[in-house]
Amino acid sequence: MSADPVAPAESSAFWQSVQRAQAAVQSLSLILGSLPDAVASSENPAAALLNDEAVARQVSIRLRRPGSGAGDDNLCRWLYDTFQSNDPDLQLVVLTFTPTIAGVYLSRAISREPLAGFEAVLLALYAYETVIRGGDPETVILPNLANPSVYHEAKAPPKKGAMELNIAVVSPALEPYGTVRSTKRARIVGVALELYYSKISSMPLSSKLAFCEFCMVWAGQDIGTENDGKEEGGEKTAAVGADENGGKDEGEVKAKAASVDKNGGKEAGEVKAGRIPLPWELFQPIVMIVGHCLLGPANPEELRTTAYSVVEGLHWRATHDMNPQEILATRSLLRLGKMGDDTIAEPQISTSSDDYSEEALKMKARLT
Amino acid sequence: MSIHSVTLLIEAMLLKSKSLEEIGRFKDAALECKTIIDIVESAWPHGIPEGIGDDSKLKEMFHKALELFPKLWMQAGFLEEAIAAYRRALMKPWDLGFSRWASLQKDLAVALLYGGAELSLPPHLQQLWGYAVPTSNIEEAILLLLILMRKVTFQEISWDPEIMNHLIYGFSLTGQFEVLAGHVEQILPGIYDRVERWYVLALCYHAAGLDDDALNVVRKALSYSEKKHKPHLPSVILGAKLCCKRPLHAWEGAKYAMKANEISQNQKHFLGVTNHLLGVCYGNCARLSVSDSQRLKLQNESLKTLQHAANIEKNDSEVVYSLARESTMQRNLHIALENATKYLDMVAGSSVRGWKLLALIVSAEQNLREAEAIVDLAMYESGAMDQLEFLRLKALLQVAQEQPKNAIETYKNLLAMVKAWKELQKWSLSSEVKAVKDLEMEAWLDLASLYTKLGSWNDSYVCLDKAKTFELFSPKCWHSKGKLLEAQSKQQEALIALLVSLSIEPDYVPSMVSMAAILRTRGGKSLATARSLLMNALRLEPTNHEAWMNLGFISKAEGSLHQAADCFQAAYELRQSTPVQNFV
Repeated sequence: MSADPVAPAESSAFWQSVQRAQAAVQSLSLILGSLPDAVASSENPAAALLNDEAVARQVSIRLRRPGSGAGDDNLCRWLYDTFQSNDPDLQLVVLTFTPTIAGVYLSRAISREPLAGFEAVLLALYAYETVIRGGDPETVILPNLANPSVYHEAKAPPKKGAMELNIAVVSPALEPYGTVRSTKRARIVGVALELYYSKISSMPLSSKLAFCEFCMVWAGQDIGTENDGKEEGGEKTAAVGADENGGKDEGEVKAKAASVDKNGGKEAGEVKAGRIPLPWELFQPIVMIVGHCLLGPANPEELRTTAYSVVEGLHWRATHDMNPQEILATRSLLRLGKMGDDTIAEPQISTSSDDYSEEALKMKARLT
Repeated sequence: MSIHSVTLLIEAMLLKSKSLEEIGRFKDAALECKTIIDIVESAWPHGIPEGIGDDSKLKEMFHKALELFPKLWMQAGFLEEAIAAYRRALMKPWDLGFSRWASLQKDLAVALLYGGAELSLPPHLQQLWGYAVPTSNIEEAILLLLILMRKVTFQEISWDPEIMNHLIYGFSLTGQFEVLAGHVEQILPGIYDRVERWYVLALCYHAAGLDDDALNVVRKALSYSEKKHKPHLPSVILGAKLCCKRPLHAWEGAKYAMKANEISQNQKHFLGVTNHLLGVCYGNCARLSVSDSQRLKLQNESLKTLQHAANIEKNDSEVVYSLARESTMQRNLHIALENATKYLDMVAGSSVRGWKLLALIVSAEQNLREAEAIVDLAMYESGAMDQLEFLRLKALLQVAQEQPKNAIETYKNLLAMVKAWKELQKWSLSSEVKAVKDLEMEAWLDLASLYTKLGSWNDSYVCLDKAKTFELFSPKCWHSKGKLLEAQSKQQEALIALLVSLSIEPDYVPSMVSMAAILRTRGGKSLATARSLLMNALRLEPTNHEAWMNLGFISKAEGSLHQAADCFQAAYELRQSTPVQNFV
């Protein structure tokens, strides 16, 4: 944050945004009860809201309660209104709760409960991205090493004339949607997660940890299979309804989901039941966010270890669904996460007995 | 000041920076480094001049500062400054050694790929380099990684597995797997295990849609020459999956699936997956088999294995879908309906093919109005692309319900939507463009056959011509033409058109059946030809009720009344359980 003095012409805009933030904080305090003083009387309420752990935890608890997210949910209304205020700092605050909203929404979508509140917030995020992208897809031009670039010189002189650009589409063009259609649910949530990823460097740690935890539930790894398939707990996925949400409340299930617990049996049953279909439109932003959590520079150790177990879960899911794109992405993340700062060569995960390869060369490389 | 004193000064600043780093004042340390770099850069704005030798202490200090500077910003938590520092170090010729240079490039690529902040290059570079400047972080990261891979290939630096893994990750996000496969192939031999290299290559080809190439690579991995090694389970599973999609490779797929099943007996993790694949392969084999008894046996095995897989994998919706699909193809509608509704419940209605399957099953039960209602519901729940397909299904249902006016209206809507889609789309994936093209052609052909039934020959010709503009050598187009000519009682020309259709695709069953229908009306020697055509058709599609009916007529004409009665009975029963659209 720069500490330059604000010019008089800008200060009115600055004060307007502070007023908006204060109004938002006030309406939030009406919903949650009293807010800590640090937020209520801060000079920069938006930034205070962003970083306050206690408020984040309270909002998160409310969002995960059974019965949340219906059309008359006040908290969802507040989130929607705050996002629509078009104030960038306030929008960041709403974005921090995207993982929780997406997580609870997707897990409950199967149960046919009314979830209009969550849908409204997600659609607001989707509409925002649609407007920003203006109907164009997100593309990447794959570099051609034959042409010189800012980082290297080409051996052959560049060819004049029409250049064939290899254009890859990272995220296809967005269609505007007024309501959430079930076949487009994954796309809408995926775009909301892409928006979350674009601002992820400003997101607090708790938000990222919440995301990792939901990913574990979504991937649905049968932790219990390690203990000889004791997973016949009679859990039916079609009934991921009311009972499940009770179980999802604070504490237990989440903590167990986050750490790769080998207790199996009942816990595995509860974790497993949150499994959702993961098409590439959802999987891609998930992988990007988890990649950041795992390998992003200057991330705390706690986040890295959590992200690593999430990658294991996602890799399990990818090999299960036999989707090559997912397998390749998670496989490379898995290897990168394992390599970390090792100086000793690690054995590969799925190899045959023939070993005269990577390890040997790695050893040789370290000796030279 | 002499070079010597400058060197001492810079060394002092570097030491100060390092000490600040030790005590944790990263920002101050970074600012110290910045001063060093600013000084050197202002003295040598175009990079280190030729004259400075390799043993110059000044250069050594400067290089250390260049290396340290971005790391300090990272530790201080300033991603933007760190990336700017990396770029600064890499964009001018500072005569860094190979390994230092490569290490800086790799760290920049990692920061760009995983940093989570989109930081574009300064605009003046855009003007200088034009199109060659990367416009996004992921582009820049991929560029750097490709440069590093090239250095490894030329052995300028030693192999670092992280580079390849980062590259695979980056390419997975962009979806350009053919290019990635090329780079995997360029890795020098001896670095990867043979089996691992082939597995990654096969995955790349499969992801790029080149399933034949992927299958060839998998075959290498599972071939006789690799017999002395333990079989690589993921490769076997991939082989089975690739064969599942291709009915002609059904036996090969079944072989792989059985092998995978054997191996995974000790690893419960994959047991459900292998059983699922085995079930689907058995189903494909059943459709390929020549003898009836084998076909029945394989069909039973298929359902049994799929049910077993569903029991192991209680939460896998895909197994339930496969079970529903297989049951529908075996005309076991009760089980099919149960599983199709279960599938849609499990995915909360988010699967287009689930809706389609449900509608087709309900139509097979001859419950056409309900099927239409399901299609309407599905259209409400889907986006523009999928709605086109559902519209076509709706029109087919309306035709089956003898509502030609409604059907024509629906087709008109469909074609108008296709036209609008083509005009509005600035950007479309090639797979989408192809799908829309195919759909349009099918719509025109459907309209042609509808007009044929109604007797409006001219309209039918117009529609046929429109369909032909998409693909001249399509057996479907020629078949429709044959039907049109037959309806106009031009039997000879109809036969020619159907022959053309069969010459394009010898196993095209509708043409076989239509040809047999025309031939049997001629009587005499043509009956034998007709019969052989029908037997061929029934070998390929045992559930084709039109073939059975024509066979019944032939048997009656030849005098075998019992056989004729059996055939008619079979035709009637099959018609009662035929969905309105065939499965692909």
